[in-house]
Amino acid sequence: MSQGFFLDKARILERLGDDEEIFAALADLYLQDVEAYCGQLGAALAAADNAVLCREAHTVKGLLATFADDDGAALAFALEGQARAGAAPAALAAAVAAVQARLRLVGEALRTA
Amino acid sequence: MHTVLIVDDSDINLTLIKALVLRLGECTPVLFEHPLRALEWCADHVPDLVIVDYMMPDMDGLAFIRAFRARPEGADIPVLMITANDQRDVRYEALDGGANDFLNKPIDRAEFSARVRNMLALRTSQKHLADRARHLAALVDERTAAIREREKELIVRISRAAEFRDPETGAHIQRMAHYSHLIADALGLPEADRKLILEAAPMHDVGKIGIPDYILLKPGRLTPEEFEIMKGHARLGYELLQGSGSAVLKAGAEIAYAHHEKFDGSGYPNRLAGEAIPLYGRIVAVADVFDALTSQRPYKKAWALEDAASFLHDGAGSHFDPACVDAFLKRWDGAIAIRCRFQDEEDPSY
Repeated sequence: MSQGFFLDKARILERLGDDEEIFAALADLYLQDVEAYCGQLGAALAAADNAVLCREAHTVKGLLATFADDDGAALAFALEGQARAGAAPAALAAAVAAVQARLRLVGEALRTA
Repeated sequence: MHTVLIVDDSDINLTLIKALVLRLGECTPVLFEHPLRALEWCADHVPDLVIVDYMMPDMDGLAFIRAFRARPEGADIPVLMITANDQRDVRYEALDGGANDFLNKPIDRAEFSARVRNMLALRTSQKHLADRARHLAALVDERTAAIREREKELIVRISRAAEFRDPETGAHIQRMAHYSHLIADALGLPEADRKLILEAAPMHDVGKIGIPDYILLKPGRLTPEEFEIMKGHARLGYELLQGSGSAVLKAGAEIAYAHHEKFDGSGYPNRLAGEAIPLYGRIVAVADVFDALTSQRPYKKAWALEDAASFLHDGAGSHFDPACVDAFLKRWDGAIAIRCRFQDEEDPSY
């Protein structure tokens, strides 16, 4: 899933009204925050706190969607649903790792954009 | 300039929404990551638009909207909730809870701008309506005040009309009106009632307009027949003033009719007794008699104040309502001050 991610800047800019300034500000913030988001997902998993995990997955879903990462948003959406359904940590670990990897991948793409 | 309150726990979303709001122009964004802090801000500020995320720690967007709507100023402010397309149930609940519209995630600038502009246009219309309502209320207040002034002038002129035909002076009218106000105050009547009696009491003898001069201006004692005619001034005053929509004229009618009734039922014109006599009538009876006794007339000298007080005291329960007498005597210093303030300009012994 993490292979072959393409940052569709044109699509992102279209949603932002072709505003490069806003895009740059969002990208900067994303790069500043990406490890924090990964950490919060990991901490919620370690604490077996499904409510927080659900909320963090929801937030990440929105973030990835903002950067036109439909596949990443789908991963986060699936994680959100599993957490809400009360899945055990062991069952969630792989999904959390996948979302964390996706967040970092998008970060890499933004860094080189 | 519109104040747009933005509540979202994601700093990236806050940055994005702030940037989009600023690009609309004429907007000042106010940002909060924590819903509870945003509600604290709302205690002292009224935004023109609220944009709130759904899923946040501590308090979700639905709870925020309910708390915001519960504030008196928050009832009509447009609220936009940010939701994902997959949150249909949340949208229905948000609509029930007071959201006006939604913003989809990921945020699209064109959609965002259109929805925010619509909400701000709604707010602008609300403000115009509120401004217009305030303007109209001020206009009504202004016109009402003008009508009240004309009403007061009319009452003064009616009272003066009776005065022209009566040897009693304008100072008597002023004193007895202020004595009445003093008694009403001592009885604990509300401000509106105290004001009403002050304005209406001067009309108590307006019915004397209808009493023939040979009786009204007779220097000596009236015959029983003449006194019967003289007693008619209470009913004449009532008939002159009753039926008006004005509270002051209504009170004046009541006072004119009742100020010669006596507490034991021996007064006129209706021989009412006790609390069957309207309160304003019982109050004015004390004020009117006290001033008549302590004023000089062509046929009598002014009584000493203490003698007049004794007369009231002795007449409490028979002539006067004891509560009104007590109230008046309890404010004796105030009564003396009124007497000093409104003195007869001329010697009425003509």
